[in-house]
Amino acid sequence: MTPSFLTLGPNDLAAAWPETCLAVAGCLIVLLDAFAPSARRWFATLSLAAIALSIWFLLAAPAGLSFSGRYETSDLTAAAGLFAGATAAVAVLVARPYLERVGQVKGEFYALLLWGHLGVLLMMRGLDLLVVFIGLETLSLSFYVLAAFFRTMPASSEAGLKYFLTGAFASAFTLYGIALLFGKSGTVRIAALSRPDLAADPLVAIGLLLLLVGFGFKMSLAPFHAWAPDVYQGMPTPAVAYLSVAPKGASLIVLYRVLAAVFQAGMPDRFRTAIAALAILSMSLGNVVALAQRDIKRLLAYSGIAHMGYVTIALAVFGRDALAAVIVYFFVYVVSNAGAFAAVAALYRDETKPHPVGLLAGEGLRSPFASGVLALCLFSLAGIPATAGFIGKFFVFKAAIEQGLYALAVIGVVNSLVSIGYYLKVVYVLYMREPVEEEGPPALAAADRLVLGLCAAGILALGIFPAGLWNLAQRAAESLPFGP
Amino acid sequence: MTGATGIVAVLESRLLTILVFLPSAAAALLLLFPRSRTREAKIFAIGASVVELALALPLWSRFDLHSGGFQFTETATWIPALGISYSIGMDGISLLLVLLTVLLTPVSLLFSFDHVEKSARAFSIAFLVLETGMIGSLLALDLALFYVFWEVMLVPMYFIIGIWGGGRRIYAAMKFFLFTMAGSLLMFLAILYLAIRHRAVTGRWSFLLSDLVTLSFPTMAIQTLLFAAFALAFAIKVPVFPLHTWLPDAHTEAPTAGSIILAGVLLKLGIYGYLRFALPLFPDAAMRYAPWLGVLGIIGVIYGAFVAYAQKDMKRLVAYSSVSHLGLIVVGIGAFTSAAVTGSVLQMINHGLSTGALFLLVGVLYERTHTREIADYGGIAGVAPVTTALFLVATFSSIGLPGLNGFVGEFLILLGTWTSVHRWWAVAAATGVILSAIYMLSLVQRVFWNPLTREENRRLPDIRASEAIGALALVAVMVWIGVRPNDFLDRIRPSVEQVRQSVATRKVAATLSRPSRAERGTPRESGSVRQ
Repeated sequence: MTPSFLTLGPNDLAAAWPETCLAVAGCLIVLLDAFAPSARRWFATLSLAAIALSIWFLLAAPAGLSFSGRYETSDLTAAAGLFAGATAAVAVLVARPYLERVGQVKGEFYALLLWGHLGVLLMMRGLDLLVVFIGLETLSLSFYVLAAFFRTMPASSEAGLKYFLTGAFASAFTLYGIALLFGKSGTVRIAALSRPDLAADPLVAIGLLLLLVGFGFKMSLAPFHAWAPDVYQGMPTPAVAYLSVAPKGASLIVLYRVLAAVFQAGMPDRFRTAIAALAILSMSLGNVVALAQRDIKRLLAYSGIAHMGYVTIALAVFGRDALAAVIVYFFVYVVSNAGAFAAVAALYRDETKPHPVGLLAGEGLRSPFASGVLALCLFSLAGIPATAGFIGKFFVFKAAIEQGLYALAVIGVVNSLVSIGYYLKVVYVLYMREPVEEEGPPALAAADRLVLGLCAAGILALGIFPAGLWNLAQRAAESLPFGP
Repeated sequence: MTGATGIVAVLESRLLTILVFLPSAAAALLLLFPRSRTREAKIFAIGASVVELALALPLWSRFDLHSGGFQFTETATWIPALGISYSIGMDGISLLLVLLTVLLTPVSLLFSFDHVEKSARAFSIAFLVLETGMIGSLLALDLALFYVFWEVMLVPMYFIIGIWGGGRRIYAAMKFFLFTMAGSLLMFLAILYLAIRHRAVTGRWSFLLSDLVTLSFPTMAIQTLLFAAFALAFAIKVPVFPLHTWLPDAHTEAPTAGSIILAGVLLKLGIYGYLRFALPLFPDAAMRYAPWLGVLGIIGVIYGAFVAYAQKDMKRLVAYSSVSHLGLIVVGIGAFTSAAVTGSVLQMINHGLSTGALFLLVGVLYERTHTREIADYGGIAGVAPVTTALFLVATFSSIGLPGLNGFVGEFLILLGTWTSVHRWWAVAAATGVILSAIYMLSLVQRVFWNPLTREENRRLPDIRASEAIGALALVAVMVWIGVRPNDFLDRIRPSVEQVRQSVATRKVAATLSRPSRAERGTPRESGSVRQ
């Protein structure tokens, strides 16, 4: 029944192409950085090519299982790989002018980003808890280093250390959860968790809760969120653009996979209550604390905590349409949140200092393009109709009401109202105050223009014509075996 | 030749879509203008809004007077998986409000031509996007589509108040945004609930108004909650007392053009939404709570009048007069007789014209003196006779002098209310009409007649052509409605009848299909249903 782990067929290798090209490109960049420094200006192009190739392989690969059922290629992994790949591309495009501005054009930035992205793909595609865990660790190790990328800057070192210590702690939770599930089911395969006797088993429940803690940490879901503001603040902004979107999506997909396997007959109410409580806490805490933030990166960190609360509503709802809502939400989140960080990267001059919102005063009229895109991203995050953000919330709240979870929907909507307070505060500073800096921000690089333009176009396109995305997400959600 | 007729044919069959999106297309083109060419940008924006007006005017004559239903309808799929469609159409109520919108937009832009200097290109863009939002909201027949347009209006208005407004503009803009958003978010959930219930009942997704009005609700409590969510959103927009506090701030701080549109169109959308959506969707709840609406309307009429009388700031005075006048419209809707509702709809147009003109003329004075304090004026009549004359006409229209438009609307509302079951409302509301004469005439007295006290007012230049054209256009329509009200009433009445009919038949149907009146009688039972 179970073939040996080591028999690898051509199918298995073909299925691993998306990851292989990322790994190879990362290694190549590190080698070139050491031995051919003149190639540095091609690193961004090379990384983009690797990401594009990886997406292409992922989309072109025939659907099915590989590595003896441990690895999935499906509409779900295609959709998830697409938004994660888009995030990585945004991060690379932002990084190119950003690293030049700070004078730190180093190969390891791109290499670590690519390897981190590889980890995300492993998490999204793994059908074996150990594969998922290896993906999680690959991602985490890459980003621990990226958090401390500015070695001479105390805030960056602090970010790296904080992220590492708390991250390691969270990984231990995850691993312990996996161990408990393994102990009960006798295997680390996710599919094996669908044995009918496991759903009601208390040890399995504890294992699942531990996974919820571990992956909740990666999602910066309250109360496991405390690292996010500090890490975002110290980490280079392009890396934050990636970290704040793709790993969170991957974590949620893992949770969905595991829970869908265990709860074939529907999610028990105790569990739903626990997840709903996390969602409510995360939304409310994120939004209320964000109101008090003065630093834009911290503000966006708390906004991210709140957004993970909204999307966790779709986990509590639990079902095919809710999973589709999650996928839609993350596509929306890429253009809105990664776009916001891209604009932040373009609008601030000095990366060695904090990023107070007040410094943006008057930029709306001085650098209209970057400010306009930032404002659009913020309106999208606030969920104003005709932007992508509205579509994300629309499907989540629709799923909640369909399931009869009215209270969650109402709390979510009230939270949206609170969030408008701080998003509008940034817009107000951008457009309705006189500039405080004598000089405007540096002129936009071509890469900045491209990425900001793409995000703005994405926000409007998804906001006005969401039908295609919803179809894609629904097809993707079919891939997960929900119970009858 | 055939090419030209082909274009005309497309124009005719897609006229409403063109009306909705022409302004935002113009706004998108404006983005391409260099930022330094402010003059050209302004002219382009005015041109676009005038073309919009020219395109909309044929609707007046093409409109079929004998139909109360929706005309010029267009439908296209939008999100087929959820049955969300791009479905638009117009009845008599929306016809007049659309015409009001396309009239007030060029008037506002024309007024701003000389008075908005700071990033005039962005100002024009905001205005044109706003126009798309307003017309879209007035034409949408799909609730999801309506909600999108409804919210799209917020963002440009936020910028118009926040960037080009007066001293406390930030506070006013924020308050405007948060108040309006607070109401509409709950309406959003209610819309979702309706669509999901429609699917549960029929097995088919739909957000179409015509589908959702056929729904019945499991309990009266649910219907009441849903109605409350809709009514709150609309009541904040109107605004109905006690939700009106954002209005004086927004009006006072907004630039003149913003005030004209805010008072002229945005407030009307609250009443419009109530008539178009809340009433037909939730007839039982709406009828049960209509007395509350009427009472709140009366409080608004009298409270608004008294507070207006106490104002020292001209713009704030006109803003509170809006609270009072909108209150009267709400009373008419609450009374729900044919005459009262028809009068209310006409009064929406009237108020848009008269208050739009008043804000414009207050703006004329403000741009010359940079003060809105009533005490800083006096004796202007001799210095600026044309401004004075126009202001007088707008005042007379606002207080309902016979021969002008305001009289027809107010008379119909009071008559219709008197013949309804709530006879005493008419008495109370009539005092508001009298009060409005007092505070408006005292404003005119203090600003234009009293002795000229301030030396610098002696050289006050009179109204300019770019300002006067708009005011004259508004005055012309005021006279038209005053002299030939039936031109307008004939277009309103069939649609109002349609709304009243649908409420009446659905109420009967709901009462018949209900097994018993138990849930109305015993609260315990409705409680157990909820569990």
